[in-house]
This record gives sequence, structure tokens and C-alpha cells, in this order.
Amino acid sequence: MASTRAVWAIAHKEFSDRLRSRWVLITAVGFTLFSILIAYFGTAPIGVAGFQGFSLTVLSLLSLATYFIPLLALVLGGGVMADERDRGTLDLLLACPVTPGEIVAGKYLGLALALIGATAGGFGAAGAVLVLRMGFAGIGSYVLFTGNAVLLGLVFLGFAFLLSVFIRERSKVMAVSVFLWLVLALLYDLGLIGLLILSGGRVPEGVFAGLLAANPIDLFRLLGFLAVGETKMFVGLAAVDFPPALTWPVLLGVFLSWIAAPLAIAAAVFRRRAGEGFIS
Amino acid sequence: MKIELRNVSRSFGDVQALADVSLEVREGETLGLVGPNGSGKTTLLKILVGLIPPTSGEIAVNGRVPAPAEWPRLRTRIGYMPERVSFYDNLSAAEVLSFYADLKGVSGERVGPMLDRVGLKAARDRRVGGYSKGMRQRLNLAQALLADPDLLVLDEPTSGLDPVAIREFYDFLSGIRRERAVSVVHSSHILAEIEGRIDRAAILKDGRLKAAGSLEELRSSLNIPLRLILSLRGTAGDLGAALAAEGAYDLVAGNGTIEASVSAGNKMRVMSVLMHRESEIRDLTIREPSLEEVFFGVD
Repeated sequence: MASTRAVWAIAHKEFSDRLRSRWVLITAVGFTLFSILIAYFGTAPIGVAGFQGFSLTVLSLLSLATYFIPLLALVLGGGVMADERDRGTLDLLLACPVTPGEIVAGKYLGLALALIGATAGGFGAAGAVLVLRMGFAGIGSYVLFTGNAVLLGLVFLGFAFLLSVFIRERSKVMAVSVFLWLVLALLYDLGLIGLLILSGGRVPEGVFAGLLAANPIDLFRLLGFLAVGETKMFVGLAAVDFPPALTWPVLLGVFLSWIAAPLAIAAAVFRRRAGEGFIS
Repeated sequence: MKIELRNVSRSFGDVQALADVSLEVREGETLGLVGPNGSGKTTLLKILVGLIPPTSGEIAVNGRVPAPAEWPRLRTRIGYMPERVSFYDNLSAAEVLSFYADLKGVSGERVGPMLDRVGLKAARDRRVGGYSKGMRQRLNLAQALLADPDLLVLDEPTSGLDPVAIREFYDFLSGIRRERAVSVVHSSHILAEIEGRIDRAAILKDGRLKAAGSLEELRSSLNIPLRLILSLRGTAGDLGAALAAEGAYDLVAGNGTIEASVSAGNKMRVMSVLMHRESEIRDLTIREPSLEEVFFGVD
């Protein structure tokens, strides 16, 4: 059966395209430079400049990653189907002995590898530089942060796929992507703060935990704070206690669900639309 | 591979692209699908490849209606050349074909010989983005042939090619058909180009199949007259009247010539008159209706 080979062929092509276009390299270098700069200047607002250890570096990097990685993943995956359609290669792809599910799987795998390569490579290179300056103390939090950042990227790559199968035109996918990013990265937390203020802080703990888990960016923040041993997290400008229900395994499980669910829906929608002949 | 469309209709919203089309693609034949732009040719071809399901009706492959889940496997036996020739421009021809070889489950070792066969050996490592239209079309055919398909579905395969490239394309296709019994469905709106290169024609207009058959069958069923052109040794005399008496019409008498239309039913009677008056005739040309005339003869 050609299916596994076909999935790998599609994945290999997507990954190779990002290597050839130097997307992986440029993104990785960007992450490395940003990480080193933030590690050095991250504490500048309190009047201290210099490498201050991995925990403080991770806390500083969390803000960068929160905004940058989702946007990057949305741009990377947003045109995945629209580009094939615009280029006129989608018909030929669908006319091959591959299922729509295999096409989605192959494309996601290829782009995920590119994203993982750029994220892990970029933060990894920065980590190596930081180890040279600060030693290995506290490096665990940095490794966890890197893994966490990879997961955040994979979640938003799934969102991008979802938008890409629902919306035919790349420009519209990009517009909706930016709006989605704005909501999840900025407006969602403002809403949570508003809720806390309006309720006088009397939001039931389970509800609050659920609301946090409903936003993968907040999940990312929670995991980041846990990685450095923080028991409070910042929601917008407010510091709130961690809901006890959100333990490591729970957070990780929800995070992984956020990767699987959009991708599964995207595959199902693409399969249905291809089956009805509305893709080509 | 034999494919039958049974009462197939397809609509896109309010637009009826195909209406109640029943058509058979026989094993080893070349079927020309002719019709004006927007007549439903591409939709019909996409249905044949399984890219678009019919809104109603069914498709039988070798006498059996396959389930939707069976189409990916069936496509290993179908080579498809879409009308719009598009590839990944950043890849070389060898990389493009290797990619499709992987998708079709074909050995990568076939890529080199196939590129050689379609005349792209020298350009195998050049990026496809720099290819001419003709080279792209050859690469398109190469990907369609990669898995030795039993059915080739070609959507306007010579569109935009120059006359030399068109001839090369048909010569290559003939070579393939001489080697193995591959069925070919070939759409075109350039009727003169495919005439003589197809076994049967199917005429689509406004999403409806107006007629299907060999050119002879179509001429006969549509009762399209042939045209007689006589070059005479002397004056026409009463020859025109004699021909008209046997059913010839649209007679035009010129300087030493007579032209007349004759229906298939009256052909032998008119020929009989000519045989008896052979001495008056210097030369005779019989022009059978072309595919174009057949096409325009269909309502």
C-alpha cells in the first residue's frame, strides 16, 4: 500500500520546501538572536543587564513566544491548501492514489517538522550559548520551555490547517488568522480580567481553570510558569494563583488535545469536501 | 479498463454542469470528448477520475460500481492530465516525477527512463519553473504514464502547444497505444485536431451528451450529407437533373464542375448514375462530413 510512502513523500516535500526557502534557517536564527538578547536584556526594566540564569530567561522568553510562535505557525500553515489550489497542483494531487486524510497528514507532518526544527534548533542554539555563559544550573526549565514552545507552535499549525480547509483564499485565511491570534493572544486575557473584576473575584475555581485551559496560549503560559516553579501566573496585568486542578499531566493532556482536535476536524472537513468534489 | 457512466448528473449550486449522461469508455479505445467551452467536458473527466462524485447516477468500472473508499486504489490504474498544467516550480523534473512516483507507489527507478521517453532527459535537473509550455505538457504526460495506467484521461492535452509540439504529442500517444491496450479519453474543442486520432467521439453541449459513436456512426445517425464534387469533360448538360432525380440537392454548376450534397440513403443511387455516365466525368471527389460538420449537425 502506497499510503505511508505517500504521507512521507508529501511531508518530505513540505519540509524540503521550507529548507530550500531558508524558512527554517531564518526562523531558527531569529529565535536564537531573540533568545540571547532577551536573556541579556530581559531584566533591563529593573535596572539590571546581563545573563541572570535560566529561570529568569524563561520568564522573559514566555512573553516573546506567546506572541511570536502562534503568528509564525499561522502564517506557515495558513496557505497550505490555498497555495495548492492557486498553483493548480491540487487536482493532480487528489487524482493520485492518496486519500484526503493522507494529504492532510503528510502536509501537517512536513510543516510540523519545519516548525520543530526552527523552534528547537533556534532555542537550542541559544541554550548552548547560554550554557557557555551561565553553566547548566536551571537548564531543565529552559528545555521544558523549548518543548512547550514546540507544542504551542503545533497547536497553531493545526488551527492554520483548519482555517485553510474552510477558507479557499489565502488572503482571507491570513486575515482570519490574524484575528484569531489577536483574540487568543490579547483579547482573551482581557476578557478574563474583566470577568474577575466584574465578579469581584468570585469566579468558581473549576470555571476559571476551564477558561484558562480553553486558550492554548494560557496553557502555554501555565506550563511555562510551572517549568520555573512559579505558583502564580499573569493574566494580562493581573497575577492570579494557579488553579490546583491544572496539574502537569492535565495541562499536557489538554495541550495535546488542542493539537489533535483542530487537525482531526481539518482532516474530516477536507475529506468531506474532497468527497463532494468541492476541493478541486 | 472499461468505465461506464450511467445517467450521471452533476450540479454546482444552481449550475447544472452535466445532465443525465450515459457513456461508455471501452477497453483499449480512444474516445474523443468534444464540446464547446463550458459544455461539461472537464466535469465529466473529473468524474471519470473520481475527483468529483456525480450528484446522481453512477460510475461502473469493469461492470462494478466502486465504493467511494475504493477510488484512491483505482486511481493507481488511471493516469490523469489536467487541463491546467501546473507543477511545483521550485522542483526539477526528476524531483517532480519522483514525488508522483511515491504518491502512486511506483519504483523511483522508473523516473529516469520515463523522462528519457518524453524527451526531458537533458532537462531532468532543471527547475520546472523555467520549462516551456511544451516541456511542461510532456512532464504532465510523463506523470500520467508513470504507473502504466489502463486508462488515460487527458483534458485538452494540446491546448496552447505549437503545431510541432501537437504532432509530437500525438505521435508519442500513438506509440504508447501500439505498445499496450490503454483506453484513452481525450477532450478537445479543436475538432480538426482530433479527427482521425480517435476511435469514437462523444459530443457534449450544455452538459448534455448529444451523440456518441464512431464518426461513421455519427454521420449515419445524424444523416449528414456527403458532398460530391464532379469535374466534367464537357458541359454539365442534363447530368445535374439526373443527379437531382436520384436525391442529390444543393446543386451548384460551375465552369465544367458540379457540386451536390447527397444523403447517406441516396448515396448508392447517385453513384449508380455516375457509373452509367462515366464518360462525361473527368474526376470525382467525395467529401465525407468532417467531425466539425457532425458537431454542428447535432442539435
